Amino acid sequence: MDLLALLIVAVIALLMAWLLQRPSLRRPPLAPYPQRAPFLGGGTVDSHAWSRFHVRYYPMTLLLIAFEMEMMFMYPWAVVYVEEGIKALAEMGMFLAILSVGIVYGWRERVFRWQ
Amino acid sequence: MSWLQRMAGEAPVPVYVARGIDASHDDLAALALDANIELVATPRHAAVLLVVGTVPAKFHDGLRRLHDQMPRPATTLWYRSRPLPEFDAPHTLSKTDRLAPTLTDLYRTLYGRTPQPVLLPDRPPAPWRGLGDYGQGGEGMMGGTPYGRPMAMTDDDLRDGLQLDALGFTLGPFFGPWAPGLLMHMSLQGDVVQRVSVQSPPFPQAPPTVFGAALRGAVPIADLELARARSHLFGLAHSLETAGLRSLALRTLAHAARLRPGVDIGLMRGWLRRCGLFASVPPGCGQLTRTQAIRIGGTAARAAGQPMDARLEDPAYRRLGFSVIVQDAGDCRARWRQWLGEIEQSLALADRAAGENVYTDQTEVVETPRGRWRRGAGIADASAVLEELLPGMEWSEAMATIASLDVAAGEPGEGGEP
Amino acid sequence: MGTDLLLPVVVLFAVLVAGVYLVQVFDGIVASALSGIPARDHWLAPLRRGAWLWLQQDITTEHPDALNWRLAPMVYFTLAALGMAVIPWAGQVVAADLSTGIVLWGSVEALATVVIFLHGWSANAVFPLLGAYRYVALGLSYILISMFVLIGVALPAESLKITYVVLSQQELWNVVRQPLGLPLFLIVGLGIAFWGPLNFADSADLAGGTAAEVSGPHRLLWTVARSAMLVAFSAVAAATFLGGWLGPWLPGLVWMVLKMLLVLAALLLLGRVLARPAPERFLTFAWVVLLPLAFLDLVWAGLEAL
Repeated sequence: MDLLALLIVAVIALLMAWLLQRPSLRRPPLAPYPQRAPFLGGGTVDSHAWSRFHVRYYPMTLLLIAFEMEMMFMYPWAVVYVEEGIKALAEMGMFLAILSVGIVYGWRERVFRWQ
Repeated sequence: MSWLQRMAGEAPVPVYVARGIDASHDDLAALALDANIELVATPRHAAVLLVVGTVPAKFHDGLRRLHDQMPRPATTLWYRSRPLPEFDAPHTLSKTDRLAPTLTDLYRTLYGRTPQPVLLPDRPPAPWRGLGDYGQGGEGMMGGTPYGRPMAMTDDDLRDGLQLDALGFTLGPFFGPWAPGLLMHMSLQGDVVQRVSVQSPPFPQAPPTVFGAALRGAVPIADLELARARSHLFGLAHSLETAGLRSLALRTLAHAARLRPGVDIGLMRGWLRRCGLFASVPPGCGQLTRTQAIRIGGTAARAAGQPMDARLEDPAYRRLGFSVIVQDAGDCRARWRQWLGEIEQSLALADRAAGENVYTDQTEVVETPRGRWRRGAGIADASAVLEELLPGMEWSEAMATIASLDVAAGEPGEGGEP
Repeated sequence: MGTDLLLPVVVLFAVLVAGVYLVQVFDGIVASALSGIPARDHWLAPLRRGAWLWLQQDITTEHPDALNWRLAPMVYFTLAALGMAVIPWAGQVVAADLSTGIVLWGSVEALATVVIFLHGWSANAVFPLLGAYRYVALGLSYILISMFVLIGVALPAESLKITYVVLSQQELWNVVRQPLGLPLFLIVGLGIAFWGPLNFADSADLAGGTAAEVSGPHRLLWTVARSAMLVAFSAVAAATFLGGWLGPWLPGLVWMVLKMLLVLAALLLLGRVLARPAPERFLTFAWVVLLPLAFLDLVWAGLEAL
């Protein structure tokens, strides 16, 4: 039922957004090449932009995956926390402390810099 | 005109400015401060292409590209500039006070005009070559030119040696964040600059007329120092715009427009510090070596710890109690601090000089905001320093460095001697 | 079922559309106040700009990924609407009272990163590409901060349902009970809509970044989608930190809208007043300073809830 409501909201929003882009029945003619050239202040580009881009923050994404798994664990933990009491806090504190060591290690290994 | 078109005509005019030789800062500052005009960063967002100042013939193709990249309806206004020969009935203007109203008129009547066709030939940028159906195929892994452009090829990397694809492009003579006329070919790996080659140095910028007059005779020190403070404020506004703070940049330009001797900039210093401009670049970003600093001269040299200032040779300044301000580091933050310090110093000097009506004593050499200008010799262009400075920098650091440096040649404009 | 879904959906889209308009108006007011340049008419200016964008030619680049390029702003707007679908406007007026509303908001944030990246990458041009890749570094970092802060909010509610989170604030709002939460969450808000200091995607040093090659109705939609994401974020912040619809005298919906406007005003002001840091500096700051602060907030919330 909730999911049906979400679906209805999504469909209405997609429709609104599609209409705002002023869709037309006829496909508009393709603009001439000079109009489609990329903007570079009057300059030219050597190649297509699509390339094997050197993503400089790649090591950070590996650390992110570890924290994402912790996040997944914390969702059910939040719901049962008040019943479980201080023991639950201690367990989560330990988990966070272990992962924080990962952050400190990453910081020292310059993982958060542009490689 | 339908009601939509009428409504669209009431919006602020989006203008893309292409600056040529002798595009004066004051005109552009007045445009930026106008509430009816919005200066945009790319011609895709613009309705009017404003060409200010003469554009040399070798950059005409760049201008044609800009004109073609504007979405229709669009038009062009040539302000103190000779129009390209392809235009039959170009809109030209040479009077300063009519600039904003003319732009607004052109914009309001956009929908009623026939659109100017594209100027460059309608052909793919490279002829399709190769064996396959889409232009692909040829020697090597990525031979051929699919869809009319080659694919990027691998290249070395400065930082971690991982050879991925390098993006190369020529960033043109009319790029907003840069000095007008600067044409550089950049090669990036990711968003770190690997190689820079200056293909054309920025257009020579004449310093404000009062500096030229100072080489011919004595001028009031108050005027000289006010012009210097105004020039540094323009530089700070440019750096603020590059750091994403457009409203504060406009506020700085408004300060520059109503500058008077003795104005206190303590408030401005306060919000400059609090807005995080200095924290936006890492310390040591854009650090100049001693040779580079001496080569560029002017504020950049003083920010790098070199106490070079032509005002030291002028007895009138010494009597006013002038002493050179220098910073320790030669990086971006130091250059911004140097600008701030010199603005304060100039305003104080102007206040004292206006009170005592002091004139300059020295007419052989004058210290312009760009550097030391000796009578009979211009100020040399220093854009080759960028080729040594930028490689290895990440994109935003590179842009901040270029915004904090002024490397254009200084040619005697009107009022000076060639 | 039909009728008790109709009212929340109507309220949702009414608030979204009005919110998008108000974001543009407030942004204009803040810009005028800061720059000292009075604008001609703050209330009509967004409509006029919208009219001009509607009539302008919608430009393409040489060889874009056309489907993704057109789809990205649409999906960004839809994500904003979905994020608002789990927010209660008054006691029972909520479109989709998911028992895992906070998880849905987390997935909205994650998909927003994907969509913004696609908008830049699909254009096949240099400046949008750089903006897209730069943004992803920020996008992956704010997700963690947001989730730890929201889990801290969920602890006293003993549930991930946003209605229960609001109800748990009946004695005291979370902004007072967990003081670190809202400032951290505001930073997340600036990030998800890449606004102001965290505008790595559409930044001024990239001549507009992912929006550099975009014009006409496409640009109109992209601007509307960004504003919609700000509105959706302010709704979540108002519900989870400022007590949602709770408040004396006025009806719940009015309180909710007032609190949303407060959060929007804070975001728009911050957006114009802070400079954009280098992405590297922000990445280090987010992981080394903000994330431990989020941990601290969580521990504080845990101790508070017991």
